[in-house]
Amino acid sequence: MKYFAGIDIGSTAIKITIADKNKNLIGHKISASGSMFYKYAQETLSALIAELSFDKNDLAYIVATGYGRKLYKEADENISEITANAIGARAAAKEFGEIKTIINIGGQDSKVISIDNEGNITNFAMNDRCAAGTGKFLDVVALKLEVGVDELGEYHFKSTGTPLSVNSTCAVFAESEIIGLLGNNHSVEDIVCGVHYSIAKRIVKLVKRVGIKESVYFDGGPALNNGLVSAIENELSQKIFIPKYPQITTSYGAAIMGVESYNYEQNK
Amino acid sequence: MSSIERVIETPKDKQNRHKAMEAIKIINSIKDDFKSPIQSMNYFYDLFEKVYCKNEPLHNGKTKIGTMCIQIPSEIIYALDGVPIRLCNGFYTDDEIGSDLLPQKACPLVKATVGHFASNNFTDKPDIVFSPTTCDQKTKAGAIVKNFGYKVVDVDFPRTKESEGSREYWRKSIKQFAVELSKFKNKKLTKSNLEVSIKKIGYAQSLYHKLSEYRKQEIAPILGVDMFLITNAFFFDKIDSWIEAMEVLLKEMKTRVEEKINVAGKISPRIVFTGSPPIFPNYKIPLIIEQSDALIVADETCSSNRMFNDMVAVDEWNLYDMIDSISDKYLKACTCPIFTTNDDRIRRIIDLVKNYKADAVIYQAFAGCTVYEMEQRSVLDAMEKAGIPILYIESDYSPSQQGQLSTRVEAFVESLKNRRRNKK
Repeated sequence: MKYFAGIDIGSTAIKITIADKNKNLIGHKISASGSMFYKYAQETLSALIAELSFDKNDLAYIVATGYGRKLYKEADENISEITANAIGARAAAKEFGEIKTIINIGGQDSKVISIDNEGNITNFAMNDRCAAGTGKFLDVVALKLEVGVDELGEYHFKSTGTPLSVNSTCAVFAESEIIGLLGNNHSVEDIVCGVHYSIAKRIVKLVKRVGIKESVYFDGGPALNNGLVSAIENELSQKIFIPKYPQITTSYGAAIMGVESYNYEQNK
Repeated sequence: MSSIERVIETPKDKQNRHKAMEAIKIINSIKDDFKSPIQSMNYFYDLFEKVYCKNEPLHNGKTKIGTMCIQIPSEIIYALDGVPIRLCNGFYTDDEIGSDLLPQKACPLVKATVGHFASNNFTDKPDIVFSPTTCDQKTKAGAIVKNFGYKVVDVDFPRTKESEGSREYWRKSIKQFAVELSKFKNKKLTKSNLEVSIKKIGYAQSLYHKLSEYRKQEIAPILGVDMFLITNAFFFDKIDSWIEAMEVLLKEMKTRVEEKINVAGKISPRIVFTGSPPIFPNYKIPLIIEQSDALIVADETCSSNRMFNDMVAVDEWNLYDMIDSISDKYLKACTCPIFTTNDDRIRRIIDLVKNYKADAVIYQAFAGCTVYEMEQRSVLDAMEKAGIPILYIESDYSPSQQGQLSTRVEAFVESLKNRRRNKK
């Protein structure tokens, strides 16, 4: 039995996915990128192989992707996270139907990818202003509000007042805006809700730049935040699909690419 | 992921949420960013929150008379038992809706107004709209709104105010307006109901004048942004509630002045604000000015001072004299830049600077508000001649570019402070 690994080394987390030769998702593991991308990626891969209990030699092909992809020198191939995201998203949304627009919010960037019926990338846009509206931004917000990042969704739905928007696109300035709001005793729930809408508006602008095509799909760690999902749906005025494991679709895409490259080489 | 069922907002809810978010941002800034808040301002903060964040109608069961510009006399509307609702709009949300319908370079105020009508989303929906043919864009806006299916009546407005001919022309227009509204309301305009409403509006104006007197003092009792809220509330509030709130405010103002409570800094420059009108929640420039440690002590804009400055002066209290006096007030006293020559406006600005001991003038022009953009030069020249520093700022309704704008304003304010220091 041959296995294929997709390793997505992002700014915040390392995501590894194992697929079989039929491109089925066999297992995945997520760990923090920390300071030593390469070392942690290796450790995470070993741990995942142990968990799935297969022989290391059965790992037929490794594809690296993400910001840190070039640091993982053992990879058989490396591809950009845009390509990997598009492939992974399409596979992850198989049971949902054909997707045409992919929204991805990562640790330090956000992007929108437009694909055609065959899954080819036809257009894409990335945020051009640092960490504005990314996972990092949510981290900073949660920290300042003394709320867990995973609790932001709950707070969003508890907001009863008008959402309090944060205008700054810079995470650093947004932080001071939030301190200002807290200092004047505004409700944490309304601030959380406002922050989600501020991010959603920015994302929707990006979506409009590439053009909205049905269906819309959203992944990356922040897609776990139901409040943010709801805010984006409201700003887009349409439903969006969230995969079961929104954090790992890019690494899954890399693993699928591994299967294809392996088959190609075998048939040469 | 939590199990909460996500329901997508309707377009109407989305528009309301966007507007509520714009509104609360400004209300909170005014409430939170300044020292020595005025207790009785809470009436106005709550009013704006109620109307724009909670969408609570104020005039259920009343006939709402929409007006597209300042020139439609509220005196006649109240006399005929209607409620005037001025539909000049300050929301970026509506501006964006209007941008899809009008040329890109059109004025944001007109785009926002048209966008509001296009969305057909009103808390107090006007039953009929009167559109004075003032500037080109408003004139056309009236026709566009009519195409949306609203009942819109044009009121012919002349573009010169010196000639006797234009005075006669406008008097005729006002009479025609009174006839139209009287027909619509099925109520007769009489000597007694018009006299009552002229006096009531006159009283409301006198309260504004009393409040303005306090602003002439060196120790500043009230912020310019608070004043804009008060005057903008007159666009849509119940007039009796507004009058009551002003009476309470004036009482508090008296004690604040006695206690020498200052809302500004020790050396805050005093500013006269002129140009395109600040309409809630587009208080971008006024807020930047006051957050930069300057104080707006007076304004020359149609969303504020111009509504209250001149009163209807009646010689003989008979119906036709009253109507003529009303017409004159809305034409002769008007300092809108749509008029051919407009020396009145320059004179008024200089008078305000003198009477309110202002250090400088800040002139806002909306990008696309051609008449204010064009009149910039003559005002700038006149101020230079009079030795009054002036800053000209082009702006729009978008929330971006705050950084660049505040840097410009701050530098101007600092130069005014230095001027003061060097004088002494």
